Amino acid sequence: MGHSREPVRIVVAEPPSRRGADSLGTPEALRRIGRGVRIEVAHDAASALELARNRADLVVLDRALGADADRVLAALRRRGPPVVIVTEEATADVALETFTAGAADCVTAGEDYAEVLPGVALEQIRGWRAKTARREVRQRIRSLERLHAAIVDQFPAALAVLEGDGGILTVNPEFERAFPAGSFEGRPLADVLPEDLIESADLRDLLARARSGAERAPRIARTGEAGRVRAFDARAERLDAEGRLLLVLADVTERERLARHVRDLRRYLENVIQNMYSGLVVVDEAGRVAVSNPMAEQILGEPRGTLRGRALADWFGAAAARDGCIGRTLREGARVRGAEGVVTRADGRTVPVAISCAPLLDADGTQLGAVVIFPDVSELVQLQTQVLHAEKMASLGRLAAGVAHEINNPMGFVHANLAQMEEYLEDVAKLLEAARQGPERFEAVSREIDAAALLDDFGQAIRESQEGSERIRHIVQDLRAFAHRDDGEWVEADLNRCLDSTAHIVWTMMKHTVVLQKEYGPLPPVRCHPKQLEQVFMNLLVNAYQAIEARASRDRDTGRIQLRTEVVDDGVRITVADDGIGIPPEIADRIFEPFFTTKEVGEGTGLGLSTSFEIVRRHGGSIRALPREGGGTVFEVFLPKDGGSRA
Amino acid sequence: MAAGAPPTLLVVDDEARILSALRRSLRREGWRVLTAGTPAEALRLLDEEPIDAVLSDHKMPRMSGLDVLEAAAERRPDAARILISGWPDEIPAERLAALGIRALVPKPWDDAELKRVLRGALEP
Repeated sequence: MGHSREPVRIVVAEPPSRRGADSLGTPEALRRIGRGVRIEVAHDAASALELARNRADLVVLDRALGADADRVLAALRRRGPPVVIVTEEATADVALETFTAGAADCVTAGEDYAEVLPGVALEQIRGWRAKTARREVRQRIRSLERLHAAIVDQFPAALAVLEGDGGILTVNPEFERAFPAGSFEGRPLADVLPEDLIESADLRDLLARARSGAERAPRIARTGEAGRVRAFDARAERLDAEGRLLLVLADVTERERLARHVRDLRRYLENVIQNMYSGLVVVDEAGRVAVSNPMAEQILGEPRGTLRGRALADWFGAAAARDGCIGRTLREGARVRGAEGVVTRADGRTVPVAISCAPLLDADGTQLGAVVIFPDVSELVQLQTQVLHAEKMASLGRLAAGVAHEINNPMGFVHANLAQMEEYLEDVAKLLEAARQGPERFEAVSREIDAAALLDDFGQAIRESQEGSERIRHIVQDLRAFAHRDDGEWVEADLNRCLDSTAHIVWTMMKHTVVLQKEYGPLPPVRCHPKQLEQVFMNLLVNAYQAIEARASRDRDTGRIQLRTEVVDDGVRITVADDGIGIPPEIADRIFEPFFTTKEVGEGTGLGLSTSFEIVRRHGGSIRALPREGGGTVFEVFLPKDGGSRA
Repeated sequence: MAAGAPPTLLVVDDEARILSALRRSLRREGWRVLTAGTPAEALRLLDEEPIDAVLSDHKMPRMSGLDVLEAAAERRPDAARILISGWPDEIPAERLAALGIRALVPKPWDDAELKRVLRGALEP
C-alpha cells in the first residue's frame, strides 16, 4: 500500500552559494539518515516544486532562498510533502513566521545542525508517510463503496437483503422495477413478491436452506398468466452470522424465450431435413459425412445411421467427388445447382440424382464443409426421356407430308409395274403355249407380241420395281433410325455425321423446295448424346424448311438452307441458316419457351425449340437465333467438346 | 387425228421411274408416248409436237401440274388434259372445271383404270 517500501526521497532547496564556502552541509547531514535516502538538490522554487511533487517525502528549504522559499512554502502548504525550514537566524520570530507560513518544522543551522537535522527529517518523513497511507486507505474505501453501490444499482437482477426474520432490509433498483411495491424496508418478502412466484420455486424453502447452509441449487421461479409468464432464476446466499440473506432474482424470461425459440428452430430444421424428399448430407472439409437424413440413406442404399464419417466418394465415385461439384464446393466454395450426377450403390445399382452443393460457413465466413442435396431424379429422367421421345415423334409428324410424297412416288410405279408384269406374264404364257404348238406358231406369236421388247420391258419393270422398293426401304430405315430411342449413354461422336444423316432424312422430304448447302469443317469428337443432338438438328432443319415454305408461296418457289460446322474455343459451332420468312422481332425472345408456337393447333407441339434448348443446355452448350442478313434466320448451336461439366 | 397414225400422249412427271413405267404400259395401248421430266421440257414438247393428250403429275418443283395443263390448254386446246396426283383431295375442284380437265387420277394409280381413262380421252 502506498509508497512505504519506496526509497526515501528528500529535496533540498538552497541557494547556489551553498555549494561553496557558504555551505551549511545540509545534503551531507541528511545522508546520515541512511544509505537508502535519495537527496535531490534544487536552487530555485520552480525546480524545487517539480522535484517535490514527484513523490518526495520531504523538502528541506533554506530560508536564504528568500522569495523563492516563500513560494515553495505557499505551494506545498495544502497538500505536502512537509517542509522543514533551515535558517541561520535562531530567533523565535523566525520559527513562528515559518510555522505560520506552513512549515512543518524549523531547524537552526548551528553547531549541532548535522545531528539535529536528520532526526527532524526522519520524524517528518514518518509522519508524512503515515498520513499518506491513511489517505490512500480512505480513498480505496471510498472507491470500493462507490463500486459496490454501482454494482448493486446496476446489477441486472433483483437483489434483496433479508433480515434473519425474513423482513426486507434493502433492495436494489432492479428489484423495485421488477416488483414495484412502493416501500420495501421492514416488510416481509411475501408482501412484496407475487405469491405464485414464491410458490413456484418454493422460495421459503430456498431461503431456509440458505440460512442453514444446506445445499441450494438455483431454482426457476415463474409468475404471471399463461402467455405472459415471467421466469426468474432464484438464488440465495447467507451474508453473516446474524442470518442475513441475499436473495437474487434474475429475470430469465427472454433467455428462456430465446432458448425455446432455438429449440423450436432446431426441431423445425430437423423436421425439414428428416422429412425432405431429397437426400441431404453435410460433409466436413475432407468430404466426410457429418449429418445425413433418411432419404440420403435410402438413395445411397445404406442402413439407418451408418453414413457418419464415410466419404461421399464411396457412392459418387472418386473422380466425381474430387472434380465434380462437391469437390469444387469444398475447394473453392462454389455454389452449384442441380448438376447431373449418378449414385452407385454398394449393390451395384445406380440412381440418377440432381446434385446441389453449397459451402457450409460459420459466422465469420470460414468454410467448415459443404451441404449437399441430391434428390433422386429417376422418375424425372424417365419422364424427360418420354417427353424427348414424344417431341421427336412430333417432329417426325411434321415431316409426314414429305415422307408420304417420297414413298408415294416409288409406290406408284412399283404398283403400276406389278400390274404390267401380270400382263407380261400372260404374254409369256401365250408364248409357251405357242411353243408347244410348234415352231411356226411360236414364230408367229413371237412377232405378234414382240417378244424381244417384252423381255426388255419385263426386265426393266423388275429392275425399276426393285429400285423403287429399295428406295422405300431406305426411307423407312432412315425414319426408324431417327425415331430410335436414345440409350442415354454419353459417347464421343462425330457431329458432322450426326448432322449429315439428319439433313439427309429431312432433305429427302424437301428437295423440291430447298437447296441444301453444306460447309462441314473438320471437328474433334464431341462427348454427347448423339440421338438427342440429331433431334435438335432435325428441329432446326424442319423449322428452316417450314420458314422457306411459308415464304416460298409468297415470292420465290425455292429456298436455301446452309449448314456449317466449325471449331470455336473449347467446342464446336453448328449453324443452320435459311432464307425463309424470318422470325418477327416481337416474338424473338419467346421462341425457346415451352408450348410457344405460331402454328395452327395440331401443326406444332410448341416444344420443338424448347426441347432443343433443353437438350443443348444439358450438353453444357447454348443455342440462339439471329436474323439473317437479307432475310431469314440463322440458328447457332454451340457445344463444348466435353459435353459440359458433370457432377 | 389422222387415221392409222398412233395418237400422241405427253406424260409429265419429275420422277423418271414413273415416266418409264407409264411409257412401257401405254405404249402397249397403241400410244406414241412422249415424256417430260420437268414442266419446262413439257412446254417445249407442247410447242413442237402434235399432242393429243397430256397426263401430268401435280406436285412438281417450280410449276404445278395444274399450271402445266393450263399452258397446254392455251397451246393445244384440243388435247385432252388429265391430272395425276398423290393428294387428289387437295386439288380445288373449281380449278379442275375451269381448266376443262378430263380426269383426276389418284397416285398410285390402277393401271387398267388409267388405260380406260386414256382411251376415253380420245373420244370427243
